[in-house]
Amino acid sequence: MKETTSSSVSDPRQPSTAKPYVPPTLSPQDLPIDYAGFIAVVVGVVGVTLRYKICSWLAIIFCAQSLANMKNFENDFKQLSMAFMFGVMGLVTIYLGPRPAKKG
Amino acid sequence: MVAVRWTRALTTSGSPRGDAVLFLVAFISIFSLLTLEVSRCSALASPHFEGFDPDAEELDLDLAGETLVSATPAPPPTSLSRPSSPESHHCPPSAPPPPSDLWDEDEFEGIPPAAHPQDQRASAAAADDPALPTSTPSTAESPTPASFSLRSYTLEISCVTFLICFTLNYFIGKRRNEAIALAWASKFATMDSIFDKNFSILSTGDGKTPLLLKEGPNVFKFYASGRRFCQGMFATMELLSRHDLISLALNVVFRKKDTITFEVVMKEDCMDHVVLALARKKMAKAMHKEKKDLQRFASPMVTPPAGRKWVADELTVISELKEVAGDIITDVVLDQVFGDKVFEKFGKWFVLLHFSDLHPGSRKKNLIFKFVLPKDNNMSDMTRLVALIPYFIDLIGRYKLSSHAHSKTEAARAKAAQEAYKELQNARQEALQKKKAERKKMMEEVEAKLTAETLRKKEEKERARQLKKPGPKVKMLRR
Repeated sequence: MKETTSSSVSDPRQPSTAKPYVPPTLSPQDLPIDYAGFIAVVVGVVGVTLRYKICSWLAIIFCAQSLANMKNFENDFKQLSMAFMFGVMGLVTIYLGPRPAKKG
Repeated sequence: MVAVRWTRALTTSGSPRGDAVLFLVAFISIFSLLTLEVSRCSALASPHFEGFDPDAEELDLDLAGETLVSATPAPPPTSLSRPSSPESHHCPPSAPPPPSDLWDEDEFEGIPPAAHPQDQRASAAAADDPALPTSTPSTAESPTPASFSLRSYTLEISCVTFLICFTLNYFIGKRRNEAIALAWASKFATMDSIFDKNFSILSTGDGKTPLLLKEGPNVFKFYASGRRFCQGMFATMELLSRHDLISLALNVVFRKKDTITFEVVMKEDCMDHVVLALARKKMAKAMHKEKKDLQRFASPMVTPPAGRKWVADELTVISELKEVAGDIITDVVLDQVFGDKVFEKFGKWFVLLHFSDLHPGSRKKNLIFKFVLPKDNNMSDMTRLVALIPYFIDLIGRYKLSSHAHSKTEAARAKAAQEAYKELQNARQEALQKKKAERKKMMEEVEAKLTAETLRKKEEKERARQLKKPGPKVKMLRR
């Protein structure tokens, strides 16, 4: 079949031409967009400014998703930490802030 | 897209100072809120309990005098509330606050909360006497958070459980993906497997590093090199994001599959002018639009070459020349994978095939194969498809176009090269012009600065002269 044709001619391997592996370099703009991190930042800011509990919790959840999908640690960490900061700040202001915020 | 790029530009290309400032602001705000809350809680804590007991005693309406006597040892804030209670029975609460649902508790921070339940109960008593005993449990509950109903915390509980499930799913999904990748590797990449027989080094070649390179919980890479006609082969496995609960939920709607993409980089002199793609109709249309080389040089083949069996009806061939397509899609291939009958069986694992020597990017001459990964216990189903790879490497490595076809393709490429060259020239000229304009601006600014400086120096000299002049006169007068 196919393998016999290649092996009958000769062994296809050529150790002399072997090249070592070089990981291809990607510029930060080529990376796929981190939707989870972006949504986390937006929802976190909404939660802090408008004092919606669900927005702050969603920010934490999307931060977790962004963390799970993070491949390139250095590039995405800043956005993730910013989103997490907003989420935590929102939760702190809602639960430990002035009383008019809904309790439970 | 723009917004994300903008935020990314802010965070990445912006100075570290901006991030530090953001962090500082966040920390300061959290700290100040915490201290505020702690101080508030300590201020409000005592009146709650002090207000509670006298309120309970207040219920004995028979002996108003006795209650007054018993209340005297209590601290002053509560004694203030005493005189108001007998009066409140006659008329609406004398105290200023309007009905409870209109005023805000925070407006009366200085006044102990004992006054508020007082007025509430008083108004309730004025309305309905039998309601008094029932009102005490409600007022007893309002100052102290003694009752704890789970229902009021549904959002928190659901979010925390979701986060716990997410964490658990991360580890489970990661392991599942690794199992699939290892199953593939054990079938096709280990000793005496097809890639081992065809390539001299697998992965980095040392015995130390593992065969598969993990780029993320769902992306695995495999590299092989050392074969005739090609420089190397990159295989990328893109599995479903099983580690991400939200992606799994989305996958129920948008059905995705585990895929593996092989990219074989051919040697410079081993590939003639071939631009060919093979895929299902929808995918072929999308490829024709997206890939520049297909768009420019190739077109879909509507009719197959005469007198030959051809690929199954579901598939479309996009090629520069019919002759080339006919030569590359040989009978062997049709019998094994792409023919009508065989494709029904093996077709579900095939996605696309793209051979090009004008691939955009740094690696021009390459062959791209994309297949769907079967389940980890059925990996042998794709053996025939994987066997296509060395077959096509040899076929294209040895293939030479006829002189007629060669001249046609050569003309098309020369045209494209000229256009590209013109564009480069234009771009270079524009860049030069920009640089010239910038230089001019710089020169003008420098000149303006120089003239400004000389003016300043002149003014300073004049001032200095003016100051010096009266000096000696003063001295002479003194003498």
